[in-house]
Amino acid sequence: MRSISLYRDNGTWLCRVHPFTKLAYILAVILVPLLLGSLWAYAAAIVLDICILISGKSLRRARALIIFSFTIIVTIFLIRGLFDADNITPAFSLGPVVFYQEGLMKALRTGAVIINMLLSFSILVLTSKPEDIADELERHGFSPRLSYVIASVFSIIPQMMGTMDTITDAQRSRGMETEGKLSQRMKAFIPLITPVVTTSLINTRERAIALEVRGFGSKGKRSYLSPWKKHRGDRAMTIVLLLSIAAAAAWRLASWLS
Amino acid sequence: MTGKSIFRTKFDVASIVLIPACIGINYIGKLFASALKLPLWLDSIGTCIGACLGGPIIGGICGAANNLIYGLTTGDSITLIYALTSLFIGFFVGIMARAGFMKTFPKAIITSLVAGAVAIIISTPLNIIFWGGQTGNVWGDAVFAASQAASLPLWLSSLFDEIIVDVPDKIITLILVFVILKALPDKLTALYDAADEVERLD
Repeated sequence: MRSISLYRDNGTWLCRVHPFTKLAYILAVILVPLLLGSLWAYAAAIVLDICILISGKSLRRARALIIFSFTIIVTIFLIRGLFDADNITPAFSLGPVVFYQEGLMKALRTGAVIINMLLSFSILVLTSKPEDIADELERHGFSPRLSYVIASVFSIIPQMMGTMDTITDAQRSRGMETEGKLSQRMKAFIPLITPVVTTSLINTRERAIALEVRGFGSKGKRSYLSPWKKHRGDRAMTIVLLLSIAAAAAWRLASWLS
Repeated sequence: MTGKSIFRTKFDVASIVLIPACIGINYIGKLFASALKLPLWLDSIGTCIGACLGGPIIGGICGAANNLIYGLTTGDSITLIYALTSLFIGFFVGIMARAGFMKTFPKAIITSLVAGAVAIIISTPLNIIFWGGQTGNVWGDAVFAASQAASLPLWLSSLFDEIIVDVPDKIITLILVFVILKALPDKLTALYDAADEVERLD
C-alpha cells in the first residue's frame, strides 16, 4: 500500500521531538520574521530551518518539497520584476526585457516567505507520524472524532488509490482513451472518477455501522495503544519559542507607538 | 424547508465517517486531474459532496479539515492558507443544497456559480497577501501578467486571475457532484437526510 504521508523514522532526535513543539517552532519561525519585517530575519529563519533539517538528516527529502514549488517562485520573480506597478529603477536587462529593482525586491520577500514556510513545515511533515499527531491531539483534550478523521484519511486514501488503479485499468481495457487532446482527457475524467467516488461513498455506510458496533460513539474514557515516549526539553523549547513570538510582537508594538 | 433546518446537522457516526471519505475524494480528484493533465484543480469534489449530503456545517468541516490535514502532513503547506476558502465553499454549497439548489441541473449550475464567487471573494485577498496576487495556475497567471503589464491595479489583475481559474473549476466540480449524487443509492443518502423523522408505530 502506498502511503501519502512523507514521514520516515530515520532514528534521529528530530523524530522524537513532540509534534506540538514542532508546531510551536513553525508558529515562531513564521511569525517572528513577519513581525520584525526585515529581510535579514527571513534569511536567519531559513538558515535555522536548514540547520535543523541537516541535524535531523532530512534536508535531502525537504529539497524535493521545495523544488515542487520552485516554478511558482520563478514566475513571481518574472511577473513582479517585469510588470510591477511600482517599478521605476531598472536593475538589469536581458536583451529587450528590463527587470526592475522594486518588483524584484517584492518578489524576493514573497519568495522568502514561501521558502521559509515550506522548510519549517517540512520539519514537522517529514519527522512526525500523522497518527501520532492525531493521538496527541486526542490526549490533550481534542475530540476522539477529530483524531479518527485525521487517522482515517491516511488509511482511506491508499485504499481509494487502489480502486482508482483498478478502474483506470478496467476502463482502458474496454478501450477508453486517457491520453491525447484536452477534450478527450476531459471526457475520460467522468467515467474514471464517478465509480471511485460512488464506491467509496457506499463503503462509508458499512464503515459507519462497523464503527458504531465497536463503540465509536461511546462516552467512556479511552485508553491508548502506544504511549508517547517523552523527549527531554520539549516543554522548555516550546516556552522559549512562544516567548520569542511575544518578544517580537512587543518589539513591533513598541516601534509603532514610538 | 424552514430556515432552521438548513443548518441542522447530524453529528452521528455516519456524518463523521463521511468527512474522511470526502477528504479522500478531494485527493483523488486532484490526482486524476493531474494524471490526465487537466488545467483545473478539481480538488473540492469531496467537499461539495460532503456539503450536499451532510449540510453546511459538515461541508465546512470537510473543507477546512481537508486543507489542514494535507497541509500539515503531506508537505503541501501552501494549501493551509486556503483552508479558509475551502471552509466557505463547503459552507455555502451546503446552504444551497439544503435550499434545494442541487435538485435539477440548471439549479446545480447556479450553485456552482455561488461556489465560484465564494472562492474568488475569499481567495483573492489571500493571493494578494501571500503571493502578491498570483494563483500558480499557468492560464490564470498569464492573465495576471497581461493585466499587470497593462498597468491595471493589483487587486483587479488578481481578481481576473482567480476568475479564470476558479469559475470553470467550480462549474465542472459541481456538474460532477450532481452526476455522482444522482447515481448514489437512496439507502445511502437517507443516512444523511436531516429532515427525516422517526415514525412510531405504537
